[in-house]
Amino acid sequence: MWTGIMVPLRQELMVTLILFLLLFIKVGASEYRTGTILRLVNILLLANLVLGFFPCPDATLFNGMFHTGRLIVLEKNILNLGTLIVSLLAYDWLKEHRQALEFYMLLLATLTGFFFMISSGNLLMFYLGLELSTIPLTALSGFDLEKKQSSEAALKFIISSAFSSALLLFGISLLYGATGSLGFDAIPRRLDGSAFQLFAFILLLSGFAFKISVVPFHLWTADVYEGSPVAVTAYLSVISKGAVFFIFIQALYTVFRPLAGNWNRMLILLSVLTMLTGNLFALRQNNLKRLLAFSSITQSGFILAGITGSSRAGDASVIYFILIYIFSNLGAFGVVSLISAQTGRENIDDYKGLYAANPLLSWVMAISLFSLAGIPPTAGFFGKFFLLMAGAGRGNYVFIGIAALNMVIALYYYLRVIKAIFMDSQPQPIGKLKIPLLPNIAFGLCVAGILVTGVMGWVYDYIYSLSIGF
Amino acid sequence: MGTTQLLFWFLSILAILGAILVVTSKNPVHSVLWLIVVFVAISGHYILLDAQFLAIVNLIVYAGAIMVLFLFVFMLMNLNADTEPQKNRWLKIAGVVTGGALLLVLVAALKKADLKAQMAEMGKGDIGLIHNLGLVLFKDYVVPFEISSVLFLSAMVGVVVIGKKAEEDKTTLGSQKYGG
Repeated sequence: MWTGIMVPLRQELMVTLILFLLLFIKVGASEYRTGTILRLVNILLLANLVLGFFPCPDATLFNGMFHTGRLIVLEKNILNLGTLIVSLLAYDWLKEHRQALEFYMLLLATLTGFFFMISSGNLLMFYLGLELSTIPLTALSGFDLEKKQSSEAALKFIISSAFSSALLLFGISLLYGATGSLGFDAIPRRLDGSAFQLFAFILLLSGFAFKISVVPFHLWTADVYEGSPVAVTAYLSVISKGAVFFIFIQALYTVFRPLAGNWNRMLILLSVLTMLTGNLFALRQNNLKRLLAFSSITQSGFILAGITGSSRAGDASVIYFILIYIFSNLGAFGVVSLISAQTGRENIDDYKGLYAANPLLSWVMAISLFSLAGIPPTAGFFGKFFLLMAGAGRGNYVFIGIAALNMVIALYYYLRVIKAIFMDSQPQPIGKLKIPLLPNIAFGLCVAGILVTGVMGWVYDYIYSLSIGF
Repeated sequence: MGTTQLLFWFLSILAILGAILVVTSKNPVHSVLWLIVVFVAISGHYILLDAQFLAIVNLIVYAGAIMVLFLFVFMLMNLNADTEPQKNRWLKIAGVVTGGALLLVLVAALKKADLKAQMAEMGKGDIGLIHNLGLVLFKDYVVPFEISSVLFLSAMVGVVVIGKKAEEDKTTLGSQKYGG
């Protein structure tokens, strides 16, 4: 009986176990060396990642509250991998931080929340998972304790997420009134597309849209990304967004399938708005974190384009793209994080002439940005290609044309950064920076991921074989 | 109209009126007092729905403890003066128009709604008792219940981290003040 619960729940249990282990270390040990703890945590996270790869049967537990299968395990593995890379990249920053243990406790709490959210088979469970991930994240974004800007980011984040949670809860309660159930299997049977149900759905959609920063709901993104510590920004832009996209696409393709005709049009509109607005604002940014924030808004627009395909290719391309997006965005954020931790400089102008002293960092940055822009040899190209292919599956060629145009606009601001690094010069360029071992491993992982994932066809085939669609 | 319906309308009007006054009151202390009225009215609704335990907990926790905390904060930060800056008039108009449009859509949607849920069970007074609530909580909803404990733990950790910061800020501020 125990294995029947332990095996499907193993990833959640492992993460919670690490969380409590850290709590006991914090409470029990009077003195510890931060460096040792950081290495220990990274090893535990690696063990957690490996544990996820053991085969797991499909299971539905606790009266349908929790369900898992090969696709969900794969999604959790992707999140685990991303968290490990974030943790490796944060090493340089955390080494000097007095509250590294708390950082990991909060980080793992959010990860537990994401896992339960992805596995939820009930709206109540989904909401709890989302809150469990949001509340620690707000504390994390205020983690640069001596910076005013970081506190401001935390405050903005908690107010906007409280607002979005309120919308979501209102939507959930109306949906409960309209269908009489919170279970993911019972709701679609009772959806008939009446005005009341659509209204509830739109509220739910707005709640989701806040979390993945889709355009009318994106206003918090740039400020929070800029103010938060870089490691947290990276986590927010990749892991948090990826997890919400996973559950979003599941909800749309299974729970809200009867409303597909309605949400398809909504998503196309939101996607176009998101891509355009994200791009136009990104063109004007000079702070690299803000630039990456707006670029991540644009990427959300592209992912929405893939979702509108509502086919197996749609699901597969979104998961595949998020995997690649983790590598490319974390590569870029990793470089920003390292340079910011050692020199405190974050503007594009500061990066002029970076190549002269730091060729390795420059190349990592360049490859990551090429992948974000979607330039062919990198995996980013294949990710975007599959997204647009999936989106084109429904025959919306005008929409896909707009998306392709946006890729060209995006190229401009990515190349601007690369030009600054490789071709421009300035009186005081950033000197030679020391790259510690752990961030170096993370850079290796990111670059390898970007260069290899696109070429290995079986990755996409494997994801496709697990995907859902209709 | 039966007693239940009469009570329902009375409590609903009380709650909405209270909520409007919470937002429109200039003085924050008055807002808090009106918020207590809202909570009491909602607790009344819970009793009408046969959720007695929830009603009492709502009253004790929200109307009691949390509101007292609010009042303490206002007292300590000396916020009882009218400090809110005047907003732009156009912004107010825009807000009213948007809110009104949302209300219109909601009312229109509700009017045509065909509710498939079972209506609240009336006349069976035992569904909200602690015994039954506990059974449901530890049988059907045991996972959400357990997860919320992790949620509270992480929230506590987060608060401690932020709280520590405040302490340090004060000491550095103090040393600046007296040292310099």
